Parts: sequence; structure tokens; C-alpha cells
Amino acid sequence: MIETNANRSRNPERPEVSEPPQTEVHVGFTGVFKLFGSVVAVRDLNLDIRKGEFLVRVGPMGCGKTTTLRMLAGLERPTYGTIQIGRRVVNRVSCKDRNIALVFQSYALYPHMTVKENLAFGMKARREPRARIRARVQEVAQTLDVVELLNRRPAELSGGQRQRVALGRALIREPDVFLMDEPLSNLDAALRVQMRAELARLHERLGITTVYVTHDQVEAMTMGTRIALMRDGVLQQVDAPETLYARPANLYVAGFIGSPKMNLVSGRLTSLDGEVAVEWLGTCMALRGKVAATVKKHGSEVLIVGLRPEDLRWAPDAPSESTVRLRGPVEVVEPLGSETLVTVVVDGNRLTTRFPPRSGVQTGDIVELALDPTHLHVFDPDSGVSLREQ
Amino acid sequence: MTSPIAHASESDRLALEKDDLLVVRYPRVSGGGFAANLTRGLFGALFATPLLWMLLSSIDSHASWSIGVPTLTASNYAAIFHEAEMRPLLNSMYLAGVSTGVTTVSAVLSAYVLSRRHVPLRRVFLVFILFASGLPVTMVIVPTFQLFVTFHWLDSLFWTSLFLAASSLPFAIWLMKNFIDAVPEELEESAEIEGASSLRILLRIIIPLTIPGIGVTAIVTFINGWGAFLIPLVLNSNPSDTPASIAAYNFLSAFTTPKFGQLAAYSLLFSLPVLVLYLVMARRLSGAFSFGGSLRG
Repeated sequence: MIETNANRSRNPERPEVSEPPQTEVHVGFTGVFKLFGSVVAVRDLNLDIRKGEFLVRVGPMGCGKTTTLRMLAGLERPTYGTIQIGRRVVNRVSCKDRNIALVFQSYALYPHMTVKENLAFGMKARREPRARIRARVQEVAQTLDVVELLNRRPAELSGGQRQRVALGRALIREPDVFLMDEPLSNLDAALRVQMRAELARLHERLGITTVYVTHDQVEAMTMGTRIALMRDGVLQQVDAPETLYARPANLYVAGFIGSPKMNLVSGRLTSLDGEVAVEWLGTCMALRGKVAATVKKHGSEVLIVGLRPEDLRWAPDAPSESTVRLRGPVEVVEPLGSETLVTVVVDGNRLTTRFPPRSGVQTGDIVELALDPTHLHVFDPDSGVSLREQ
Repeated sequence: MTSPIAHASESDRLALEKDDLLVVRYPRVSGGGFAANLTRGLFGALFATPLLWMLLSSIDSHASWSIGVPTLTASNYAAIFHEAEMRPLLNSMYLAGVSTGVTTVSAVLSAYVLSRRHVPLRRVFLVFILFASGLPVTMVIVPTFQLFVTFHWLDSLFWTSLFLAASSLPFAIWLMKNFIDAVPEELEESAEIEGASSLRILLRIIIPLTIPGIGVTAIVTFINGWGAFLIPLVLNSNPSDTPASIAAYNFLSAFTTPKFGQLAAYSLLFSLPVLVLYLVMARRLSGAFSFGGSLRG
């Protein structure tokens, strides 16, 4: 993925491993619950966000990610638990005293004010000196390239321009924490990619701690220093994008991150030549390394075994480590240009694989696939927890 | 037993029939249209006749209860442009003006709170307001009179206008609340995060965005106060405080011949401010802001 690489280069300190460098904790959630009546929107959230970090909260609709953001903004109060910004517990601090800025999904521009007035509104409300307001408006307008729009009203702006103004309104404050609630979801695809890069550049330049909410995993993967994946109000995993992808903590994370999705098929614990092995897709494959020990210790007979589509290779194209071979008929061929997604039925299970672009494989062909058992993800079928990472 | 397919064809058939109806009925529209236009014309005439009478009689030196070709004269107007007849118009202006001011300001403030803040028993209160707005003033006029007697508020234009304001407040609150409800809450949240106080949010966000609604509320209240008859009649016996709505009756004395011409001229004059208000507001309203551009899309 190109964006991921770009991301990596823009932030050289970004950890390649799951243990990020120990920097100052900037925002902290401790045992936070949020209840709306009897509905639990957020359950026992514990999360530290480091200074200067770009933390992306991702998850499906209604998973509690926006509620968490609103609690941090001060628009909702947590039912239990504490929220800290810096060293201050902010549970009872009103939103205007938190020095945060929030970009709403709907932008929430003031329709009766010009862009200039929209930008200046907060500074005026805080009674900052006029000369400074004027200077800051100019500065921010230049940063976001909206100088020629300053005298227009929001209704006269395009979606992307509105998005910029909304961003500018947040920037002008020089906030301690920048909160964004799905800011790109109303833009068309091309503009979204462009704004994504712009936001990333902006974060790199300003280094402001940012909490970004999205349901789009591509946004999460490309923009986040770390990603916090939520589901039904429960935090599933917090890690750098690569770690989240390479070592998902549970079945849900494994299924959510990655497109096409990880192949998940149930298997059985067995042994092969004295080694711990799984019987999977009609073959026995020995597990190696740490995962073998944990699986053995876990002792569960039935397992869910996962494999990323790119780890299941077309045999002629496979590296030498891919020792395990599978055979099956091709069901669907989806050419994407740079690669071809091929669905192969093996032992009654549909598996998605990534084939090179000119493989010439057609529907109905019997193909041979190769995989490296070290790439296998093993999950407990009941709890869904990954046995690879324990 | 009906399958989904049967349903589909049923609805298709209905749709077809509907189309057919349109197609078939079109040639006959002129007949139906004629009937419709006739009905509209009749109703229009019903409304226009009194107005026409007013217009013609006001310039007729032999004005009577009937409509006829006027014997042109300006004497009717000349007769009413005297202090005795102008004073009630000023009184009406005072009553309607003060009650409009008080009602509109109170309605905006209370509607804002009812719309946005957590108010205990809000629903009960809102239903109560709705009920109160439907309460005829005749029902409360006697106890109100007693109240005014007790507090020595009788024969005071100011207190009368306050009672007028109170009587139009429930409807005004209800009206205003709907306008304020329509302002996206995120605008307010955004302003709040940016450090704006509640007052600033009200003055800079809510009020500018609900100007058309405030205008409508003010007009409704003004018309209510301007045309008020019973309240000033009961609470104000001082002749110098008589509003125009009551003064108009002086032209229909029981002891002399009714001065139809002057009555018509006066009535026209009386309806002018309301007319002007409508025109002004119609212009303002058409230029009003929508919430376009504030939210997505």
C-alpha cells in the first residue's frame, strides 16, 4: 500500500513493532463507561493517548467511537471512570475550558457567517485582540488554501472547501487536542484521498495530538500512528496499523482489518511427527515457534485458523518457504489490474487469494496453492482470542 | 394466500390504473377546472365583498350598508383625521407594540430553553402551553378583571399590554420552539467548544438563524394585539386610552345614523399597519437563510 509507505516515511519515529516509544501520556481514559439509559455505549475503556500521536478510533456504526470522542470533547459526561487531558481530570471541566477543537462529521459551519467570520468566531468569543484574530485568520486561511473564499458563505462552497473551513476553524485555536469525527465521510472518493494526505501532512507539521474517528479501515490504516478498534462499546485492540494487521488480537480484529478479509476456517488440533499441528483444509500442517506452545497449552481441540489472502499464494508464484500445498477449483476470478483476487474452493471452503496479474487462471481451473504455516493465525473458537499473541 | 409476486402485479396494476386515470381525465380537466375556478371565484368574492365595500364606501359621500358606485368625496377621510380619531390608533400601536416586544423576547428565551436545555417535566409543560394557547380569552377575562382591580392595574395601557402579551405568549413559545428546534444542535456544540457563552450562542447563532421565525412570531403577536377588542374593552375604561379596534364602534352609534363612510375610511386606515407588516416580512422572509452549507451536502 502506497499510503502506508508514505505514512511511514513521514513519521520516522513511528514504531515498526507493537511497543511504541514511551512518551508523555496526553489523554487518558480510565475505566470509562457511558450509559444511555440501559444501553451501554462504552464499556470499561482504558486507553492512553501519547502526546503528538495520531490515534484513529475505528469500528462499525454504533460501536461507541463517536461517544468516546464526545466525552473527550466535553459534550457528554462519562457515567463512570475518569478522563484526563494532560495531568488534569476533565470529567467536570466544561468543553470550552479543555482547549480542544472538534471537527464535526457534518462540519457544523455557521451558515449565516462568511468563512472569515466562521474562522474568527471562537477567537472573538474568547475575546482575543482584534489584530491577532485578523492575523490568525489570514494564517489559517493560507495554510488551508481558502484565502479567496474568506468572504463567501458556507452555502457557496463545495464539499471539499467546507471541509477545509471546518478544519481551519479547529486549527485557528491551536488546540492541545484535535478531535475529528469522520471528517472525510461526506467527500467523494478522489477528494477523500487528497484530504487524507493533507490531514496527515498537517499533523506532521503541527504535531498536535489528534483523535480521529472513522469507520473506514483504509483511513485508519493510512493515517493512524496507532489504531484503536472498538466494537459494541468495547475496545478490541490498540496498536500500530502494521501490528493490528499482522497480529490481530482476536477474530473480530482479524476480520475487520484487511480487504479482502482474512480467510477464517475452523481446524482441529493434532500432532505431526511429534510436533504440534493443525488439521486444516484437509491437510495437516505443523505449527512452529511461539504459537505452537500457546496452542498446545491452550489445549482446545477445535480452533479457528486464519490466513491473509496474500499469504495464500499461487504455487508457481510462491516463495520457497511456502511448503504446504493445497489444490482446488477456481470459483471466482476478480482482476483488479495490479493483482487478481481468485476464490478457490478447498475442502468445501471458499478461500480468497491474491494472484499475480497475468496468471491466466480461469474459472473452473484446478489450481495449486502454497502457504507458509508460520503465517497462520490461530484463534480460540469460543472467545475469539488469538492464540498467536498470548 | 398472496405471494409477493401477486402483490407486485397488484401494485403495478394499480399504478397503471392511476396513470390511466391521469391520461383519460386530462381532456376532461377543462370541465373540472371550470367548476374549481367557479368555486374559487365564489369564495374569493365572499372575501372580497367586504373589502370592496370598505374601499368604495370610504370615498362615497352617500355611503350606506350596500355596495354602489360611489359619489366621490374625500370628506370621510377628512373627518377622521382629527385628534379624537388618531389617538386610538396611537393607543393601539402602543398596546400591540409593547405586547409584541414583551412576547417575542420572552418567547425566544423560553423556547430556547425548552428546545435545548434539560428541563424537568418538559413534556408536561409543553402540553400545558399548547393547552393554554387554545384557551379563549373570554374564559379568563373575569378573573383577570378581579386581579387588575386588586392590584390597581385597571385603566393602564401598560398593564393591559402586558396582559395582551401574556395571552399571546403560549402560542408564541410553541411557534418559536419549532423554529429553534430546526437549528442543528451541532452548530451550538461547535460554538460551545469554541468558547462561546450561552448568551453569545443565543445572540450570534440561534437568533440570526431564526430571524424568519422571530418575524413570524412578532407579526402574529402584533396582529393579535392590534386587533384585540375584549381585553382593552374590559381593562381600560379611560376614553383617552381607547384603542382603534374599539374606537371604530363609535361610528356605529345607536343614537345617530351610522357614519358608514367614516367607518370604512377608518377601517382601511386601521388595516394599513398589518398590511405593511405583511409586505415587509414577506420580503424579509424570502431573503432568509436556510441552513444550507452548514451541514453536509
